[in-house]
Amino acid sequence: MSIMSYNGGAVLAMRGKNCVAIGGDLRFGVQAQMVSSSFEKVFSMGDHLYIGMAGLASDVQTVHERLKFRLNLYELREGRSIKPNTFMSMVSNLLYERRFGPYYIDPVIAGLDPITFKPFICSLDLIGCPMVTEDFVVSGTCAEQMFGMCETLWEPDLEPEELFEAISQALLSAVNRDALSGSGAVIHLIEKDKVTTRVLKTRLD
Amino acid sequence: RLAILPSIIRGDWQSHTQCTNPGSIQTPLHHSSSSQTVKKVIEINPYLLGTMAGGAADCMYWERVLSKHCRIYELRNKERISVAAASKLLANMVYQYKGMGLSMGTMICGWDKRGPGLYYVNEEGTRLSGGMFAVGSGSTYAYGVLDSNHRPDMTPEEAYDLGRRAICHATHRDAYSGGVVNLYHMQQSGWIKVSQNDVSELQYKFREGN
Amino acid sequence: MASVSAFELPRGGFCFDNCRRNGMLGAELAKHGAKLPKARKTGTTIAGLIFKDGVVLGADTRATEDTIVADKNCQKIHFIAPNIYCCGAGTAADTEITTQMISSNLELHSLSTGRKARVATACCMLKQMLFRYQGHIGASLVLGGVDISGPSLYSIHPHGSTDKLPFVTLGSGSLAAMAVFEDRYKINMEEEEAKALVRDAIASGIFNDLGSGSNIDICVITRDKIDYLRPYEEANKKGDRKGNYRNKAGTATILSEKIKPISFDILEETVQTMDTS
Repeated sequence: MSIMSYNGGAVLAMRGKNCVAIGGDLRFGVQAQMVSSSFEKVFSMGDHLYIGMAGLASDVQTVHERLKFRLNLYELREGRSIKPNTFMSMVSNLLYERRFGPYYIDPVIAGLDPITFKPFICSLDLIGCPMVTEDFVVSGTCAEQMFGMCETLWEPDLEPEELFEAISQALLSAVNRDALSGSGAVIHLIEKDKVTTRVLKTRLD
Repeated sequence: RLAILPSIIRGDWQSHTQCTNPGSIQTPLHHSSSSQTVKKVIEINPYLLGTMAGGAADCMYWERVLSKHCRIYELRNKERISVAAASKLLANMVYQYKGMGLSMGTMICGWDKRGPGLYYVNEEGTRLSGGMFAVGSGSTYAYGVLDSNHRPDMTPEEAYDLGRRAICHATHRDAYSGGVVNLYHMQQSGWIKVSQNDVSELQYKFREGN
Repeated sequence: MASVSAFELPRGGFCFDNCRRNGMLGAELAKHGAKLPKARKTGTTIAGLIFKDGVVLGADTRATEDTIVADKNCQKIHFIAPNIYCCGAGTAADTEITTQMISSNLELHSLSTGRKARVATACCMLKQMLFRYQGHIGASLVLGGVDISGPSLYSIHPHGSTDKLPFVTLGSGSLAAMAVFEDRYKINMEEEEAKALVRDAIASGIFNDLGSGSNIDICVITRDKIDYLRPYEEANKKGDRKGNYRNKAGTATILSEKIKPISFDILEETVQTMDTS
């Protein structure tokens, strides 16, 4: 038993052509016991910006609140939307401040640049080491399964609907092979002019 | 004929079984992330069923050995073994290996001269007779459903439904349970397999309120 | 004192609020024979050498989390100053943030002195910081650059010790890489020869050390130019996939859908008309 798998959960993000998608499961459990099947781990941080966090649920909520606070201050001070890359640095700073007493979470960020609408995805480890990729990022108790699924389903330049299908199947299949995640899933598909949020049908056992 | 409703669930890293017995029904089910379709009800002979929870290999092996002993008993004595005797054979066998690492939680269910019988046997050698059991990691959840909905005068259909619901709700709450519900009914003439349902489909059905 | 509210301004420096809680969690986990999670460490091969006109730094591009390859193309050669770069091995976050921090301090330093930063200064700042944290910041670094005193190359260890050498390797693949350097290093090599040697050293790390892999990045620093070659060579090319596993739209069952339209402000619109007659 590790603290990272105490509550269970899975989050992943994928890059497409002029769009990004981010999704996560809805389970909140205490080891084997499912406590809630409506615990969202992916949060909106702006029009085109989302962050998903897997790991210890209490830290997921705390970090979300702290980030939202810092983000609001930033946007008030700057008078503009944050760039995903800058937001990544903000998350990295927050986590690295606690280098010697970390929050037990693995965040994943997906978004479009507020000016150029360039897609951006990245993930960080629990002490804030940023990792920007061109394809997909995963985190959670079924990270290995998600890596496998993404590696086969993802390809460059997927159109929004194709991207949605790829990320959904990757998440659903991965979650079905993991006892500690599942119980519903939500996908956010982020495009220039809209964000489509879909709740997926998953197995409930 | 609906005297007893024994129910069982047990599963550690991989097993779930439930057995209900209104005039004798058995409902086992399974799960595990390694397989969604392990058969957790072992058909010992036409009048005896065993369920599986804990170590799959231990359960399968010892229940296979049990079925051999039951058959030999039948040939020697020209009559079927009683459920009490069968379950005691199993309990005595595993007792010999007590403390050596076996893992087995099982219900032995059957019909004999005394009518329907249900026993709980585990790797420690414990053997209990009862009207209702649940075994496995999700057993507490199943007991919750069973205890609150069971009536002594249930019809077979009502008992089938309760058995399915108990397993279903247990798989929902317990991370290590899931897959399908295999439902058996033990009758005077031997067991019949009533149904096999995917728990996820059942859960969506129950959510709609039927 | 741990704060009750999330609404608290960052105070700068490390924050030890969670330490007591994490210590208790760790003790509780230890009873079950489990450990608290560790930060991402990179199995790595990094190397550098001095040649006739400057310094060549090299690194592989694999980041691992235990046995999982977390990133197949990560950047391990970090920017310090326009004339100084630094390869990092060890705890990924530590190498990343330490180099960023020193880079920014060095920029401030060169702004206040009005001079180009020196490699020795960067080295000194790094070792002082690492020594202060007594090895708890797990960064092993290869620092290289060209300054007023010519090319120089340092290796810096997590506890703050440093070496100034003509060729160095660090990381889990350092033994494989050093074998190549020991065999073929010569003083006053030409640039092409030096690049080829670093390439071979990193390649031997990639192929012989399981913690290192993927591509080879190289950074050549000379007095008048920086060549950041990323990738210098793709040591491991993925085969072409002939088909695809694309799913038809509608494969996943959707329970509900919500579309949030985003309106944008058009700040400026120019329509250019063309004479098409």
